[in-house]
Parts: sequence; C-alpha cells; structure tokens
Amino acid sequence: MTTESPSPIKARHPAADAIAMFFKNIPAVVALIVLTAIILAGIFGPIFYAADPYDMVWAPFSPPGEEGFIFGTDYLGRDLFAGILHGARVSLLVGLSAAAMTVFIGVTIGALAGFFQGWVEEVLMRITEFFQVLPTLLFSMVIVALFGASLPVITLAIGLVSWPAVARITRAEFLSIRQLEYVTASRASGMKPFGLMFSIILPNAAPPIIVQTALMVGSAILFEAGLSFLGLTDPNVVSWGQIIGSNRPYILDAGYTVTLPGVAIFITVLCLSLIGDGLNDALNPKLRQR
Amino acid sequence: MNDSFRSQNKPALLKVQNLTIELTTRLGTAPVIDDVSFELHEGETLCFVGESGCGKSMTALALMGLLPEKVSRIASGSIEFNGVDVTQASADFLNQLRGNELSMIFQEPMTSLNPVFTVGEQIAEVLRHHQGVDKSTGVKLATQLLDQVKIPEAHRRVHSFPHELSGGQRQRVMIAMALACQPKLLIADEPTTALDVTVQAQIFDLLDELQKEHNTAIMLITHDMGVVAEMAERMVVMYAGRKIEEGPVDEVLQQPAHPYTRGLIACVPHLQAFMHEERVPLLEVPGVVPSLNQFGGNQCLFADRCDQVNERCLNNRPENKYTNQRSVACWYPTAEGVFL
Amino acid sequence: MNTPLLSVENLKVRFPVKRGLPWKAAQYVHAVDDVSFDIQRGETLGLVGESGSGKTTTALAVAKLINSWEGVVKLNGTDFFSLDKESLRLERANIQFIFQDPYSSLNPRLTAERIVSEPLRQLKNLSKKELAESVDDIFDAVGLRPEQKKLFPHQFSGGQRQRIGIARAIISKPQLVICDEPVSALDVAVQAQILNLLRDLQKRFNLTYLFISHDLGVVQHMCDRIAVMYMGKIVEFSNRMELFNSPQHPYTQALLSAVPSVDRKRRERVQRIVLSGDPPDPLNPVPGCHFAARCPSVDESIGCLKKFPPLDTVSESHQVACYRFKR
Repeated sequence: MTTESPSPIKARHPAADAIAMFFKNIPAVVALIVLTAIILAGIFGPIFYAADPYDMVWAPFSPPGEEGFIFGTDYLGRDLFAGILHGARVSLLVGLSAAAMTVFIGVTIGALAGFFQGWVEEVLMRITEFFQVLPTLLFSMVIVALFGASLPVITLAIGLVSWPAVARITRAEFLSIRQLEYVTASRASGMKPFGLMFSIILPNAAPPIIVQTALMVGSAILFEAGLSFLGLTDPNVVSWGQIIGSNRPYILDAGYTVTLPGVAIFITVLCLSLIGDGLNDALNPKLRQR
Repeated sequence: MNDSFRSQNKPALLKVQNLTIELTTRLGTAPVIDDVSFELHEGETLCFVGESGCGKSMTALALMGLLPEKVSRIASGSIEFNGVDVTQASADFLNQLRGNELSMIFQEPMTSLNPVFTVGEQIAEVLRHHQGVDKSTGVKLATQLLDQVKIPEAHRRVHSFPHELSGGQRQRVMIAMALACQPKLLIADEPTTALDVTVQAQIFDLLDELQKEHNTAIMLITHDMGVVAEMAERMVVMYAGRKIEEGPVDEVLQQPAHPYTRGLIACVPHLQAFMHEERVPLLEVPGVVPSLNQFGGNQCLFADRCDQVNERCLNNRPENKYTNQRSVACWYPTAEGVFL
Repeated sequence: MNTPLLSVENLKVRFPVKRGLPWKAAQYVHAVDDVSFDIQRGETLGLVGESGSGKTTTALAVAKLINSWEGVVKLNGTDFFSLDKESLRLERANIQFIFQDPYSSLNPRLTAERIVSEPLRQLKNLSKKELAESVDDIFDAVGLRPEQKKLFPHQFSGGQRQRIGIARAIISKPQLVICDEPVSALDVAVQAQILNLLRDLQKRFNLTYLFISHDLGVVQHMCDRIAVMYMGKIVEFSNRMELFNSPQHPYTQALLSAVPSVDRKRRERVQRIVLSGDPPDPLNPVPGCHFAARCPSVDESIGCLKKFPPLDTVSESHQVACYRFKR
C-alpha cells in the first residue's frame, strides 16, 4: 500500500481558519471592540451611572460638560448621558431580537423552499415575494398602530418586514449546496431528509447567513430609530431614536440633543457593518487566498 | 550552460535559454520555472508533459508575456522569438506580437470566449486590432476562418453567440481566432482536456492540417502520453519547474531515461494493439508533486517519489546529460546505452 | 448462470425541460432510454460513453439517487425500486457510490473519520467500539494512516480525498459499488494509485463494481464486461476482449480509434475514424438510430433512419445494436 507525503498531523477545523482570518482584519477587530464596549455600557452602565433618564435634573438645554452632565440636558432638563446609556439597552435589544426573529423566519422558509423545491418552493417563494413588495416602513407602522406601541410589537414589526432577504439568501445557498456531491453521498449513506437539511446543508450554508445577520442587527437598530422618530414607540422606555424624535423641535437651538444619540446610532451601525464585512471576508474561502 | 544540442541550418523560431521564473506567495519566493532551456523550429510540434503544478502552463504564459504581474518575475534567462528577446521587449512590442505571430488556445473554451459578442465579432476584433481591417471585411474573413476550421454552415454560425455552440465548436472558434493572423507559433494549453475523445480527434486532425498548410510551430501542453505520441515530434517532460527530460517522442517513449518519465508512461492503462487477457497492476508513482515551497532545492526534486533514490540525489541537483538528440536530468538515467 | 447480483430492466430516465404554459405537454430529455443489463457477483461492468451519453444518469437511477421514469432494478432478485421508504433507506447499505470529484464529494465541515463512518451511523446499529474498529480497518485498507482520522478534507491531497470517498463507499460492506468516473479528476500518477487500490479492494472484499468512465484505457484495465452508451442507449455490449479487439458498432469503432495511444503498433494497425459533426440535440431525437447522423456507414435501405436497431447477438457474450451487423 502506498502512503502519500506526510501531512501535518494537527487537525484544523475550517472555522479555525475563518476566525484567524477575521482577527487579521483590523477595522473589523476595532469595530468588534467598540461594539463590545457599547454592549457592556448598555448592560452595566445604568448600574454605575444611577441617574434616571426621566428625572428632570437641571436646567433645560444646558450644553455638554456643564455641571458635570457630560452630555448636557435636553428640553425638559433630563440627563442626556443617562438617556443614551439606557437607550443603548433598548436599541441593542430590539436590534438583536428583531434580527433573531428575521433569521428564524427567513432560514426556516428559505431552507424548506430550497430543499423540497416543487410546489413547496413555489408557495413559499410567492409568500416571500408578497412580503418583499410591501412598503416596509408603512407596513410596520400599520402593525404598530394596530397592536400598540410596545417593544415586543415593534420587534415583531421589524422582524416581519425584514425576513424575505434572509429567506432568499438561504434558499439560494440550499439550491447550490444540495446539488454538490457530498449531499448526494449523504443520501447514499442513508441519511433522512431532515438530517440532510439541518446537519449537512445548513452548516455549509451558514456563512452568508451569519454575515447577513450581523448586517440585519444594524438595520433593525436603524429601523427602530426610524419608528421612534415618528413617535411609534413605547413612551415608557428610552431608546436612541426616541430621544432624537422628542428633541427634534429644538434641533436648531440645541443641536447636541439630536446629534449625540445620532452619533451613538451611527457608531453602532458602522461597527456592525464592519464586523459583517470582516465576517464576509473571513468566511469566503475564495477571498482567503489573497 | 547552453543545451542547444540540435544543430540545424535554420535558426530556431523560439529559443528559450536558462529561463528562471520566480513566483512570490505567502510562503515565500520559489522558482516555478527553474533553469529551463529548449528550442522550437518552424513547422515543428513540441509537447510539454507533466502532472499539474509542474510548470507547464507557466512556461506558456511566460512565452506569451502573460505572467501574473506583481507576484511573478523573470529572474534570469532569455526567450528569443524570431531573434528578438521577448523578456526585454516593450509592452507595445509584445502586444503587437501576441495574437499576430504568437497565439494561444486554452483548456476551457467556454470561459475564454466573451459571452456577449457573437463569435464573428470576436474574430473580427482580433483582425481589426492586428491587421486594421474594417468590421464588415473582418466578419467576411471570420466566416472564411470558421469554414477553415470546419464549422458547418460557417456563414450562419458566424452570427452565433458562444453559448449556442457545442464545446468542440467553441474550441474550433478559439483555434480560428488564434489562427486569424497566421501566427508563426501556436501555444495550445491542454486544448482538448474538456472535450470528448471523438471531438479531440477532430481537433487534432484540424491542428495537423493547419500546421502542414501554414508551417506553424505548435507547442502543445498535455498530460496524456497518447496525445504526445500522436501529435509531436519532440517532447519535454517537466517536473517541479524543471525540465527533466527532452528528446524525440518515439525514442523517449521507447526508452525513457528519467524514472519520472518512465512512471508517467507506465502508470496509465493504454490501449494496446492487441488486448491480452491478463492485466498487470499499473506501475505506481507514489506520492504527489512537491508543493511550491519545496521548489528550487539543491537536490533531485523527484527523489522522494523515486524508487532508485540514494544519497547523491538528495544532496545534489542532477546536471543535464546530453546525447545528440536527447537530454535528461537524473544521476542514474535508465535508458540503457543512451546515457552513460 | 445463477441469478445476477443486479439486474436492470428497461430503465428509462427523463428530465422535464422548458416548463412552458401549463396546458402544453411538457418536453422531456430522454437521458436514459430503455437500458437493460445485469451484473454478476464479483465482476466489474463498465459503462462507457462520452458526455451526454447518459452513463452517470443510469448509475444514479440504479442507486435511486434520482427518480426513474420506468424500469425495474433488482438487487439479489428483490425489486429495489418498489421498496417502501424506510426499507429503501436501509437497503442503501448494499449499493454505495464513489463520486467523481474528490473536492465536492466530501463535506468540508466533517473530519475524515466522521465522513467515512457516516453510512454505519445511519444504517447500522453499532457500538462506539465497533464503529471505531470498522473505521480503523477501513482506513488501513484504503491506505490512509490512523492519525489522519481527525483531519478535515481540505488537509488532504486529491488522491487521499478519493481514498476517503472509497472508504466511505465500502465501509458498510455493500454488495454493489458504483464508481462514477472515480479517477478522471485526478493527476495521471495518482490515477494509477487509485485504480490499483480499487482492484486490490475488489479482490480482498469480493466487491462488485459498476464502473463508469469516458476513458477507454481505464475501462479496458478495470472492466470484465462493457456496455457502450450513446445518447441514452446501449449500442454495444460485450466482454472486454471482444470489445477491444473486434468492436462491431461503428460508434465503438470510431471511439476506440480516436483514443491516442503510445503503442506504435496500435497506431499503425488502427485507422483513425474521425466522426463529423456533433451529437444530435437530445431534445429533438430523430427517429431511427441515434448515431445515424454521424455514422460513416449509414444506409437508408436497411432502416437506419426508421427505428432504433435492437441488440443483436454477435457471440455468446457480445451484442450490438446496428442494422449493418445483420447483413
């Protein structure tokens, strides 16, 4: 029996390469650090900075830095820094849960459509197209208006309008992977359809879905900000969009009340995009050669 | 060192001397072509044989001046085409040479044609670029060329898009395009690997005929010893960027001097004149071609796959040994009586 | 002759194309058109043909990895196609597949060990220890080292990957192994390693192969009997010696003569027949012999253009589908 030239003994999982590749991408790593800081601030900030964002603590419109309020106060004299800290929690929470919902619906529908094909695919893709052609902002406003402006409803509204993109990506991946020989090989090995779907095809279809998820969190945060800006938000919780929305009339007198939460949104979404970009490069084996 | 052992009255059309090409990868710089010399005369067919990753295609790209920029460079040596050193020539000169006197056809006829233009337009474009003919004359000439490469109903096919043609027809279009300006040298890089055998036979017939007609020199790159036997007069065997054997096809096939050449011939189950009942196991060449970072070492790079390896092979790069017609780079060549 | 291990009767596979308006009749490509053959235990049957001849489709249909339009496939006398879902799944242990492309046929996210043991995990109820032993044995049998078990596909060379594919195909001790162009994606020197291994394993485990290839040299070396396919039909069916030494069908003759050979005697003996034109459009099959349009000896008066010729007996183990032969 012949033996071929010795190969390195150490097993290297394909994901290990991707992680190493990701950490070589400096913008993505910086973005990851910044985002982690924002998340930590959102979680633990309010504990250490105990000010209530609803308390009127000082004269309205005092500019940043005055009297120890580093971001100043808004039109009602509320501490803007406290608002942004608390808002981070809500914005990130809505972003993450809306993205999770998007991925759940999108992957399920896309996987079923791509795997079973035939009439299942026809029906599911028509449904997907139906949701895709709805004007997203209008549709979510209708949902929020109908069911009341609470965080779960807002999350649901965002999830319902964003899943078609994920469904399409998942279906496309399933269609191309299911014709690869290793899927046929697994069938020849006696694997059942659901095993094929979830333990063979889905892990290999994951990279673009992961990238899309990262970007989805960013767009969900923007979407939530948009709805809050229009006043479609739970008045009892602070979010970045809500701060911008409520301070909007005073934009010319106290620009910072709108700018500062805007910058918070900008930085967070930018970080998510950079991370998504980094993941895309790391998970795409063709780019890895460069 | 100069190994132009062929003494002909006419100077060679192509003369490559001690060519070394370095390729830079993440792992460092390695010679993908390592001190390779050969000659090609008008009307002659020279075959390059070897496994993938041995530097056959790289040699062809170097001749065309199409080496991947930035990562590769000609480290030493010269490529003389028609008496001019191509390695020193200007980009303008090279552009004029390519497609005009030097042409190349590739392995994959689907991806080498532009899908948004008809085949006639693409051939006409080559003619316009090199010979300055206008478009309508170009298409007329293209029809003649398609006829020449035996595409049925050429006047209709000239208006077809690449996807409307079969693989064999596309490769004919590529040949028509390569021959548009009647090149002196045609480089064919595995031109039939993607095609069926019966179509391969058609393509080879065509190349044969066109060569006889125009006295074109052909450099044919292949991994199939059968193709070498049918098509070429002389052959060069490449291994890990080095030329390890060269000679007239019939002699090399009958008495291969390098153990790698011997392996390449005997590892393939060839069709014989008469089939026998018994089937002997194929001769195995164990292992695989070394990876790029092992290229260029001062040893025989075939040593770890060779069954006759000894100390000397591992510590010294084999020198080229010559006879009148042949050369081999092995310390212990096997062809009895040819190399001493 | 005892019952064959596998018998295929009148297998037809059709693919729908160009789904137009729903009330119009669907158009079909007849990828495999009325193919019958059987395979004896321990032998290697070759299916040869060029691209589009339907040889891979035949193999996939035999293993029921794609659905067939019509036909019966019997494994050991029992009808493989009429089994219910679960029995069919379990019966897959007996028909295994070796794929052409060693790159796309291995799941990049699983270790070699996991890939090889998959059929056992799905189809046999084995303890962890038995599973590990089977994997060890099979790794040894195909010439892989035990420490390579934990590696991922991208850490192997093409030849080694094909060894993993072979290990996966024979670990469940199948009665029939279908080899679909197992070496055509490999370098020539590696091809020899894999071909020798396949013949070795056949002797050792008494395997039966259905061997699909377009490379006549390889087929000549590997197969005991050979079916030549053209456009979904078997045009010639013969044992190895007769097919290569005295081919009867004009297509087989042209195919054999087109193979370039290093043997000078063969080059002198065999006149190369260069076929003109390309295979006809499979969407619009013409009546009569599928090869008629390219056939150098087509003759209208004997019916070449009317009806596809039936397989005629040349000798006990040699059949040919050509009207010219009868004359």
